[in-house]
Amino acid sequence: MSDSEFDVVVIGGGSTGTAVVRDCAMRGLKTLLLERDDIASASVGTCAGMISSGLKYQGEPEIMKMCSTEVVYFNRIARHIIMKNPILVPIRDFSVVAANRQMADTYSEYAEERDVPSMMFLTPEATLEIEPMTHPDIIAGVYYEEFFIDPFRLCLLQALDARNHGATIKSYCEVTGFEPMTNGFQGVIFYNRITGLIEKVRTKIVVNATGPWAHKIANMGGIELDLRLNKGAHIIFDRRIVNVGITTKESVDGRWIYLFPHENTTLLGTTALDTWEDPDTLVASYDEIEYLLKSIEFIIPSIREARIIRTMAGVRPLVADWNIPEDEVTRGYRVVNHDNGLISFVGGKLVMCRHMAEAVTDLVCKKLGNDVVCKTHETPLPGNENDVDIETLSREYGINMHILERMRARRGTEIVKILEMTKENPEWKTTICTCEPVIEAEIRYAIREEFPQTLNDLRRRLRIGTGPCQGTSCTHKVAAILSEELDLEGDDFLVDILDFRAERWKGIRPSMRGEQLAQEELAQGMYSCVGNLEQSDVDYDMKPWEEGN
Amino acid sequence: MDLECDLLVIGGGMAGFVAGTIASNAGISTVVLRKGQSATAYSSGAIDMIGYLPEVSEPFSSPEEGLTTIAGLYPLHPYSIVGYSEDVEPSRVVAEIVERARGTIAWLKKYLKDTAASLIGSFDYNVHPITVLGTTKPTCLVQETMFSDSLQQNEDNVLLFVGLSGYPDFNPSAASKTYLEDRISVGEPPRKVGRCVLEIKPFGKSFNLSSIEIARHFDHEESIDDFAAQLKIQVEQLGASHVALPPVLGLRNALMNKKKLEEILGVQVFELLGFPPSIPGLRLQTSLENIFKREGGKLLVGHEAVGYNRMEDKVTSVTVKAPRRKIQINAKAFILASGKYIGGGLHGDENGIRETIFDLMTVTRAYHSASGILPSRYTNRLSISPMGQPVYSCGLTVDPKFRPVQEDGMEWASNLFAAGSILTGYDYMSEKSGLGVAATSGYSAAKSAINFIKEVA
Repeated sequence: MSDSEFDVVVIGGGSTGTAVVRDCAMRGLKTLLLERDDIASASVGTCAGMISSGLKYQGEPEIMKMCSTEVVYFNRIARHIIMKNPILVPIRDFSVVAANRQMADTYSEYAEERDVPSMMFLTPEATLEIEPMTHPDIIAGVYYEEFFIDPFRLCLLQALDARNHGATIKSYCEVTGFEPMTNGFQGVIFYNRITGLIEKVRTKIVVNATGPWAHKIANMGGIELDLRLNKGAHIIFDRRIVNVGITTKESVDGRWIYLFPHENTTLLGTTALDTWEDPDTLVASYDEIEYLLKSIEFIIPSIREARIIRTMAGVRPLVADWNIPEDEVTRGYRVVNHDNGLISFVGGKLVMCRHMAEAVTDLVCKKLGNDVVCKTHETPLPGNENDVDIETLSREYGINMHILERMRARRGTEIVKILEMTKENPEWKTTICTCEPVIEAEIRYAIREEFPQTLNDLRRRLRIGTGPCQGTSCTHKVAAILSEELDLEGDDFLVDILDFRAERWKGIRPSMRGEQLAQEELAQGMYSCVGNLEQSDVDYDMKPWEEGN
Repeated sequence: MDLECDLLVIGGGMAGFVAGTIASNAGISTVVLRKGQSATAYSSGAIDMIGYLPEVSEPFSSPEEGLTTIAGLYPLHPYSIVGYSEDVEPSRVVAEIVERARGTIAWLKKYLKDTAASLIGSFDYNVHPITVLGTTKPTCLVQETMFSDSLQQNEDNVLLFVGLSGYPDFNPSAASKTYLEDRISVGEPPRKVGRCVLEIKPFGKSFNLSSIEIARHFDHEESIDDFAAQLKIQVEQLGASHVALPPVLGLRNALMNKKKLEEILGVQVFELLGFPPSIPGLRLQTSLENIFKREGGKLLVGHEAVGYNRMEDKVTSVTVKAPRRKIQINAKAFILASGKYIGGGLHGDENGIRETIFDLMTVTRAYHSASGILPSRYTNRLSISPMGQPVYSCGLTVDPKFRPVQEDGMEWASNLFAAGSILTGYDYMSEKSGLGVAATSGYSAAKSAINFIKEVA
């Protein structure tokens, strides 16, 4: 095969696409990943990161079983980027307990393999002791545990591991069309947004893992694919405002909603609205924000005193089951074999991404006559090879344990490579993003090793700018480091700042209130009033959500 | 416990201290109340008057030109208010507005002379200092430490950007490229720039250096010497004629350090415009505080206004809270200079935008009520653009005496005045007019309050 010929081209660098490219590469297939933006830049980045035990899907026992097994696998291959959250369901209305008694049984059935206790019923006193913000009128509580993964790191590690196994990863390459199959190869045409050139590769099989865009890609191949797109929005608070995760069905309309501590923040979600909008332009609406606040207020009455920093909204690419409510649509996935060398996914959840990849790679291997077995469930992702002793590293490198613990949660064993860089350059121990926190050495390491192009790409890799200040104080610092490492022009430095402010603003704006008005006044004061960036004569490309009225 | 004074100023930023100092100077017993750090301390320390007309990209060449334009186009702009008073003849409107602003600038320069924030610049032209990003912005006055008169004069000038190792707030590499590209595109000198990163010695650590600790270090006599020696090598290597430093030359001795560096290096040295935490902002804040106290004013720090009493058309007292006490301050007149969202003068949430102490009427820049608007609805889709963010133009509307008015257009109280960023009618970020409006409105509100107090007495 020539350099531009592949066994498999995977389109889409989300959780599924990166899982597929990893699996294919590990089985020795010559694989290319094409992602139109950055790894994990769309749907997966707007989820809560829960690798769900399948609790909500009692109606689909085979899915519950699959979810539980996948959780076990994730803890085996990626435990360094996983956190366990205890979760409470405070109950005010007894009928909720009655209606969900079965939930406890089904959850507990597979609890042991995930190494979590069975679901427990608690007294109101015990519930309030665990989470004192709970409404005093509760009559009982339910306790269980779920695992949460850093979805950005998961996708990136899958992509990097695929690359380690010989795959080619191309971000910022948008597929624009296909050429028909000749001699067992079809052409995939794409626009390289970094070079500005149209490029073409030839491949035996194309895997369409583009989530809410799956029907568009299928269409380019001349195939109709039906999807039920469903919008979900989250509100993000400035810190871990609850001791444990809270879930409740006693919401505005009786849907399950949750309040999950996540990394250094707390997520309140989610809404579920059937949508036909362009996923690139979606932002949380005022109705969604108030729906979520009102819903959780029944259980956490003081929620409005907490500081909201932003919102995020994404699209679930559900299986096209119509004429039923959204929460009755299967959370399973389907592999659609279009029989022209194109295979598409619909449906699925984050927790299933590895399973989905295995299923599709099995199919690809069968087609190509490859009989290597899947090993993605046993081979660790980079960084998960060993335990990391933060205390010793803290003493050895003179960096505080909090910084190192946050770095460990992203890096696992890789942390040592970053810390080694500070021996020659002790000034790189400087904390650049103070919210997260992130030190300069890790930023430089990520730029050198993880192919970011923009500050947003660095945000996904490092969580810079995701804290209470939303990048107010670090945007220009990180932009300068990026510009130094990539040897960018002065204009690019300013555009990077503007791009990052634009992306942060997209989420800040819909929920802007209270302290965040002061925070944004400071940001505007810096980048507009002092930096005068609105008057700078640079080539700024409007973002999809900035266009129109 | 009660406290008595003639004038209580709520808010200790630029507007509050200008008002307080003018009142004290006029023999009025004045108390300034300051809750915490003011937004003035977060500022770059340069005094913007007017840089741009809203949504226009060509900057004004001078505050005079800008004020003349604003006076004609925006009669309700905080700058314009003084011109549309009934005791100003129609032919004198623009002149009155321009003169008030010019007078304020002259006043500021005079009062801040020989302080740590002594100012340089003129009402007759805007200057375009360089920021830590390498961009420039139009402003009226800069602190002397930030001033260079010859940078853009000579074709052969060479500017050296100097960073400090372990200090992340300024990156000379990115800034020097940005600045040079800008110079090339406008076709003006300097045509050559350089950059270097120096270590601050002797210093306890090699990373996480903050502006404050560097400034304090440079405040120690002779601590600049080692830095100068390192810098001299770089200056000679590049053949630099000018040196740009991040704004950290000292909280007290910055000007002395600048002069010392210039003497040792034989080149012009200046500080860039920076971001918070801002040393020039702190110098300005401290200097304003000092001149106020010098004029006999009393400053209550760490005290927050939480309530008030009124009798008929007058506010009689304001209740003030500190961590361990609550006091009532009785005064003849009050000036509200509590700032916008950073200062805490305004608060916005899903129920609307409100003034936090007296619950005064808030309006948008279009003078519609802001008391029920959703803050997010009053923003633009573009984060940073010449249109600004309208939610930062919401605030109080005042009569020509700077008294906040209510729905019927009449003043809310006869002895309550307002100044600074709590006022509506302008967007300080895109206009580049923040501290200028604060100073000018503080000046005007003080004049009105003084007159009121003297009349009552």
